[in-house]
Amino acid sequence: MSLIGTSPQRPDAFDKVTGGKGFPVNVKLPGMLHAKLLRSPYPHARILRIDTSAAEKLPGVKAVLVPSEVPKRKYTPVYFVPAAAGSMVQDMLIMSDTVRFAGQPVAAVAATSLRIAEQAIELIEVDYEELPTVFDPEEAMQPGAPQLHEHAANNVAVNPVMGFGDLDKGFAEADHIFEGVYSSHRVHTCYMEPRVCIVDCDRQGNYTVHSSTQHLFGVREKLAYALEIPESKVRVIKAPYIGGGFGGKLDIGYIEPVAALLSRKTGRPVRIEQTRHEDFISTARHPIKVYLKTGVKKDGTFTARHARSILDTGAHATHGAEVINVHGVFGLLMTYRCPNSKWEGYTVYTNNMIGGGYRGYGSPQACFAAESQIDEICEQLKLDPIEFRRKNAWHAGEPHPMVPGVTLDSYAFDECLQSGAERIGWSQRKKADSGSGTKKRGMGFACQPLWVSGCVGFPDIYEHSGAIIKLNVDGTADLAIATMDIGSGQTTTLCQIAAEELGLPMEAVRMVQNSDTTTVPVDAPTHASRATYSAGNAVQAAARTVRERLLKVAGIMLDINPEQLAVANGRVSVKADPKRSLSVAEVVTRAESPFVQHGKNGPAPTTLEEKGTIIGVSSLAPKSNPSPVSVEFVEVEVDTETGQVQVLRVVYAHDLGKLIHRNGAEGQVEGGFQQGMGYALMENLLFDPVSGSCLAGDFLDYKMPTAVEMPRDIQSIFIESNEPSGPFGAKSLSEPCITVPAPAIANAIYNAIGVRIRELPITPEKILAALGKL
Amino acid sequence: MKTIELQINGAAHEVSIEADETLLQVLRNRLDLIGTKKGCDSGGCGCCSVQVDGKVVYSCMMYAAGAAGKAITTIEGLGDGGTTLDPLQQAFIDAGAVQCGYCTCGMIMNASELLATTKNPDEDQIRHAIAGNLCRCTGYTKIVDAIKLAATRIAGRAMESPE
Repeated sequence: MSLIGTSPQRPDAFDKVTGGKGFPVNVKLPGMLHAKLLRSPYPHARILRIDTSAAEKLPGVKAVLVPSEVPKRKYTPVYFVPAAAGSMVQDMLIMSDTVRFAGQPVAAVAATSLRIAEQAIELIEVDYEELPTVFDPEEAMQPGAPQLHEHAANNVAVNPVMGFGDLDKGFAEADHIFEGVYSSHRVHTCYMEPRVCIVDCDRQGNYTVHSSTQHLFGVREKLAYALEIPESKVRVIKAPYIGGGFGGKLDIGYIEPVAALLSRKTGRPVRIEQTRHEDFISTARHPIKVYLKTGVKKDGTFTARHARSILDTGAHATHGAEVINVHGVFGLLMTYRCPNSKWEGYTVYTNNMIGGGYRGYGSPQACFAAESQIDEICEQLKLDPIEFRRKNAWHAGEPHPMVPGVTLDSYAFDECLQSGAERIGWSQRKKADSGSGTKKRGMGFACQPLWVSGCVGFPDIYEHSGAIIKLNVDGTADLAIATMDIGSGQTTTLCQIAAEELGLPMEAVRMVQNSDTTTVPVDAPTHASRATYSAGNAVQAAARTVRERLLKVAGIMLDINPEQLAVANGRVSVKADPKRSLSVAEVVTRAESPFVQHGKNGPAPTTLEEKGTIIGVSSLAPKSNPSPVSVEFVEVEVDTETGQVQVLRVVYAHDLGKLIHRNGAEGQVEGGFQQGMGYALMENLLFDPVSGSCLAGDFLDYKMPTAVEMPRDIQSIFIESNEPSGPFGAKSLSEPCITVPAPAIANAIYNAIGVRIRELPITPEKILAALGKL
Repeated sequence: MKTIELQINGAAHEVSIEADETLLQVLRNRLDLIGTKKGCDSGGCGCCSVQVDGKVVYSCMMYAAGAAGKAITTIEGLGDGGTTLDPLQQAFIDAGAVQCGYCTCGMIMNASELLATTKNPDEDQIRHAIAGNLCRCTGYTKIVDAIKLAATRIAGRAMESPE
């Protein structure tokens, strides 16, 4: 293998450093209107009257939209499930006359300029009847709390309960029982490109859509469903780049359907770009409170675990109905071996903003609880925390604990633990709070032992991908696939996989720009750590078809059995006699040539078998759902006078199956740490407890780590366990690196100062309070 | 509306604007200089960084009228406009400092000021210089690497052709 594991230049890098044209935010269409949403100032209210007459009279205003005009079919906006999925909750309308969170759109205006649209929404008069509010999910579950949706008694949208074994017996067998409550807060994905869409409806009701999305076909399906039109009426254009997503662009927003309806009214393309404040109240990681009770034997073997998780889903269920399951299953129930387990999840409506998808999808909240508590157990029972985890871990070759019919074929948890511990110098770790002076250092680690590579085996979640690869007469290949590159390098790794399989140089494979839902096979979203594995498998399959036909044509040209041919570096050659060779360009030229060609020796016919474009198409779901592993060690320094925590060193060890693009993989992990550290220490999407309005609606109030706060030293160890079902042995990487930082940092802080913080974020105020200094 | 003249990347642009339009709005919406990005429109992210008279500014926080008569440089003004890149642009590619790419142009414009004023900056200087530019993909590691690489290459070239 020549390309796999190297770091070829990203095909999109040149354009991105010279201006970056391919973002949806740059799309401009002739006659385009600009629309603006009017949003409710109240978190819970009934709309009594809307008067849009003054707005309509403003010159330049072309259309106004109010709740009475939108389709009445309720839907879930989440892309990766069917719109009416049984596991989800269909509680959304494009616009409703009941407001359930501050910022919910209540009207919209399309005008010839953004300035006019902004002026026009100020002219809309809305009379509200304010309703009682509830912002705390546990209060919302109490009898007598304001009810947000008729279908949800006690505001519980979904209440999954899962388990196995005999919990009472398990706790009876335990030598020690530990209980803790671990809570987490609301954070934003902070994609840098705002959510934006341009929708163009023609006079026959065909919609062309540009959207900053993680899922091309999700936009088509959800928009068609919300508008109550056939999917074939919606064509979604694939943007070459998306300016970050991290899960925050995994559902149809208010903006796409509103733009579509305004475009239908005006017959002109309508663009809506969210302000940063609107982005902050559009999607967030859900706060989850975890009540965790664990029984262990003296030697640290788990005997029983019981967890209860309360998730604040905000005004609508959307992702909250699925996040709760991922959180419970991959964060609490299945991460380690425990014979008697039970977990109860509650996805609870409140008058807070609607939660969304965010990298890790429920797992960071669980990992913080579970990995913090394991360290608490080890500290009290004087057990080695590495040995403790190893003792309770799964092993390669065992059945996958969650996905029926799947085996953990590749699984290198032990190696991750060992190599990470060696690299950070774990043997040098001191006892908790053993430093002197005001600044104290500590080491900690945390694990995400079980995770996904896509969603094969899970109910209601799309998983297949498909690719089209076509060879050109100049020896290049075009790869068309719906997989969105949201920055994490899907274009690069998929081109790399194609190039490797086709025996072409990296630069000979190009990603088709601006393909759309009418031209490429259906694809699940860029989410769930799936693109390299699942889309990579589809690309490899299409490339194999292409290679087979390439060798067949070359075999005719060289008068040899194709099985005796190989292709590498852009040349097809006879294995036993490499001097006999043809360039890929020559073979493709022959396949694309006229039937009879005029050469030096006069007309020469070719054969029918040679004729035709060399093309491969695939559409498939992967065979398995292999688990990556993430283990992270950190060293921190805590200033006991100020409460400030500085992360000094980070060592990650990942079992990712096989490294495809080294530099890209490192970049994923380094960026994942920034998000994880922000979650652990500083980021907090705060809301006013009375008005429910967002208090951190820009980057001056929402504090995410800059280059100054980030540690200088982030190291990545990649363990290659060679997953048999993955492209060249690869599985996944993207998400586990973001779940582990919060507990690793919490554990390191404990090691530094002997104080356990169970509530995120771990701010200086909490540290000083815990030290008795506040 | 009023008409102003902006000097952008060495060329004069006469443009009619509303008095309260920001430099960012004029660059993107009226002149199609879309390399300058809008990330927050409130001076918090740095995606819209450009240089005005050699100093980095958030173009979302500056009225276009205030930039009249000054030398404005945007990402489109780096390199030769063809395939030859500025050393920083090349280093961002080579170091793998580009992921989604939305912050990249602003980040490069900021780093460009740093390298124009500081030869061989150390890591602290680099990190403090780019602290006003947010990136959510990279964790900044490879961005810092890229700026170091560019500084080294620029210093190397200066050694080869001493003036």
